[in-house]
This record gives sequence, C-alpha cells and structure tokens, in this order.
Amino acid sequence: MDLSFDVILGAWIATGLTLFILSFLYEDNPLFKLAEHLYVGVSLGYTIVKTYDTVVMTLILRPILDKGEWSLLIPVAIGMLMLTRYVPKAAWLSRYAFAFIVGIGAGLAIPRTISSFILKQIEDTVRPLLAVAPGGGITFDYSLLNPASHLNAIIILIGVVSVLFYFFFSVEHSGPGKAVARAGILFLMISFGAAFGYTVMARMSLLIGRLTDLIEFSDASYGRPTLWLFLLTVATLIVLSRRGSSHPPQQ
Amino acid sequence: MTFAERMLRIDRRIIFLVIGLCTLLPLLFPVGLPIKISSEVRGVYDYIEALPEGSVFLLSLDFDPASKPELYPQAIAILRHAFKKNLRVIGMTLWVSGTGLADQILSLTAKEAGKENGKDYVFLGWSPGGSAVILNMGQDLYNAFPADYGGKATKGLPVLAGVQNLRDVTYAVSLGAGNPGVEAWYVFGKDKYKFELGGGCTGVIAPGLYPLLRSGQINGLIGGLRGAAEYETLIGQKGKAVAGMDAQSATHLAIIVLVAICNIFYFSLRRQQRRHDGLGS
Repeated sequence: MDLSFDVILGAWIATGLTLFILSFLYEDNPLFKLAEHLYVGVSLGYTIVKTYDTVVMTLILRPILDKGEWSLLIPVAIGMLMLTRYVPKAAWLSRYAFAFIVGIGAGLAIPRTISSFILKQIEDTVRPLLAVAPGGGITFDYSLLNPASHLNAIIILIGVVSVLFYFFFSVEHSGPGKAVARAGILFLMISFGAAFGYTVMARMSLLIGRLTDLIEFSDASYGRPTLWLFLLTVATLIVLSRRGSSHPPQQ
Repeated sequence: MTFAERMLRIDRRIIFLVIGLCTLLPLLFPVGLPIKISSEVRGVYDYIEALPEGSVFLLSLDFDPASKPELYPQAIAILRHAFKKNLRVIGMTLWVSGTGLADQILSLTAKEAGKENGKDYVFLGWSPGGSAVILNMGQDLYNAFPADYGGKATKGLPVLAGVQNLRDVTYAVSLGAGNPGVEAWYVFGKDKYKFELGGGCTGVIAPGLYPLLRSGQINGLIGGLRGAAEYETLIGQKGKAVAGMDAQSATHLAIIVLVAICNIFYFSLRRQQRRHDGLGS
C-alpha cells in the first residue's frame, strides 16, 4: 500500500502526540507539556482562522463587495462596539452590544426551553398510570424493558416526586417526610451511578480510539511510527528520570 | 502493613497498566463478542430504512476531533446507510473546530459510495451563531448558508432542489458531543419546524438525553461507541466501533473487578480497625 507523504507525516505526528500525552500516566514530563501546549495552540489557531474565513470573508466582505449588501454594516457596527472594552473611556459603548446579545439570546432561548424541557417533560411524567383496554377493563404493563410501560411510569413519578421533595428545604425531613427524602436520595444515587457508568464507557472509548490508531500506525507502510516513537518516549522518560534523581530539587 | 492496606495503597500506575492491557489485548486478538441491538439505536435505523429514495436527510456533525473515537464511527455508519438508501444528504456542523473533520467524513463516505458533491450530497460547513443557526435555517436555509464549504453557491444545487428551509427536511440526525447538539436541534429545530429528529452522542451526555427519547422528542439515540457498533451491525458493515467492542467489554469487566476488590479490601480494613479499637479500649 503506497501512502502519500502527508498521510505518513500525519501518522507520525498523531502517534507522537498520542504517546506524549499518554506519558503523563507515568509522570508529568516535558513531552506531555509540549503535546498539551500544541493541542491548545493548534485548536485555538484553527478556530480563529475558520471563524475569520467564514464570518469576515464569506458572510461579511464578499456579500458587501460582490453584491452590495451594505445593510450588513449594521450588525458589523454592533459587533465592533464589543472592541470598545479595550478603550476605558469608550468602554460603556460595549454595553449596547452586550444588551443586544443578551436580549436576543434570552428572547430566543426562554420560550423554547420552557416549551421543550419543562412542559414536554411534565407532560411525559404525568402519563396515565393505567390504560383502558379496547374491550373495556383496565390493563397494566409490567415490563421494565419497555420505557413506555405503566410500571416505568409509576417509577418515574415516584422518582420525580421524591427528588423534588428532597430539595424542598422549608419542611424538616422527619417522619414520613424522611422516608420520601431518602427515596429521593436513592433515585439521585442511581442516576449518578448511571451517569458515571456512561462516563467510564466514554473515556474507555477514547482510549480504544487512540490505541486503534496506534496499532494501525505500527504498520510498515507508515514507517512504524508507533514503535520508534514509543522507544523515543520511553528513552526520554528514563533520561529525564535519571536527570531528576541526579539533580534533586533545591529546598 | 497488612495485605489489604498494601493493596489500597497500590501505585496507581499499575492500575493504568492493567486497564491499558485490558484495552490493547482484545484489540490485537479480537474475540467477537455478540452485539445486542437496543431499541433506541434501532429507532434511528428503522426510520432511515423506511425513507423513500430522494428524501432529504440532514446530518449535523456537532463535534470536534476530541470526540472522534465515539462519533466518527457513528457518522460513517449513518452516512453509509443514507447513501445506500439514495437519500439526498445535507451535512453541516455547529462546531467550528469540527469543520475539517466533518468535511473529511462526508467526502470519504461519499467517495466510497460513488456519490457526487452538489448532486447527491452537500456539505454546508459551519455558520456562526450556535443554536441561532438552526432558527435561521428554519426560516431560510440559503440565508444561513449562502455558500457550501467549498464556496459554491447553495442556491441552485441539485441536491437542494425543493428545499427552502428546515420544514422541507424529511429527517435530521444530530451527532452531538455537547452544546449545541441534539438538545439544540430539538429546542430550536424540531419543536418549531416539525421535522423528525434522531440523535447520536458521546457516552458522557447520553444519560441526559434519555428523557428526550422517552417522551418521543427524539425518535432514536445512538449512544457512544457501543451505539456506533450496534449501527454498524445493523447495516452489515462492521468497522472501528465493532472492533472496539471486545476491548470495551474487557475494560468494563476490569473496572468492575477493581471496584469490587477495592471495596472488599476497604471493608476488611475497616473491620480490622474496629476490632483493633475494641481490643484497645
């Protein structure tokens, strides 16, 4: 398999940076610092260039110069007011730009968020706890695996009420209230556990992703960057460790 | 020092090594553990499967390279499915730092499926404004994206024929690593412009999206690498996600064992301590 020079170079850079970052698991070292600073610098540089190209060139300059859309100067002027923060005497002008952004943001977000996250979720929480069968009579679905089952609807109702009660501090949590608050804690713990489980899964997936790439880049077609850069990283760690032990830090 | 004390003070680097080996060995020597398809992943698959040829499918790749291991396989699997079904694919991103990656994913998958840019698919790129871009697209897609990622004018592109705004989109899927992502697409997109929406996300944010799934606000959810593996299994094209599932299972098992062992040592130490305190008094 013949690979182009840029693919091979990319493989070497990706492998090196991955190993440098992973070297932190042994101990903090200059290779890790190098990779960390490169990550921050490159991602910020990329964002600045992309934003400049899309916003300034594509959405502002080209429409003004090519199509004569001079009305675009109004949002540009409002945006420029932000920069007055750097001039103390004119800094008050930036408040107009902030007021504009806060006003638009709140106006757009508040009604939509209330509708989507509060009203829709309340609607889902107060589902019927029993169903009437077509031929008459009441039915009840016990399946825990079916999210829409009646049993799950009851569990969710109990969970929502008990957690809300747990965060209701105006009444002392004693007697029956204590039992409800305890149930609330239990539901919270289960949700934290589920969230942590998913987080562990996500972090392991990241490790799997990097190791998959390292295995791929250990191929001869790339020049075996995984092998060489692993040896380089280990050698550097050994040298740094010896230098550290021969020059103990001054008290 | 007792054995339990020594184990509880074990060098954390040994644990890193154990986890590393548990990840690496199954990747080198895969076992091929079975993958069960969940109803939430099937929700997205079935909807795309039922779409007629030529339907407008919007895929928003709302992530950056930091989430590549989880969301890249999801994106590849969904795009392969969409191209196989001959849907008209509109790709875009709400994350400026993910623009290059999103373009690469779409171009590679389209090339693999023999699809033509502008005719079968288009990558709109990124537009500033975060969630407000969705509202802008809901009013006029050409206002939000006057040109595609390559600088070609979007008006007149064959792939966008008959598409004026988000109301003309048959199905949208957001692959999100945070905000703006799946939630933003529901709040500012589906809820207002009434198109069907599915989601894909990293494992970290998946628990927060399950309430949207249960209430029917999204019709399916692909969660993390596991979700991607399920989707790859459904389309019959096993890729990086399926290859990673053995490692995922092995690391989970290792973590469960480590948690259990630590608890055993912790409680045995506490029991010893209490016994010691009892003898002392």
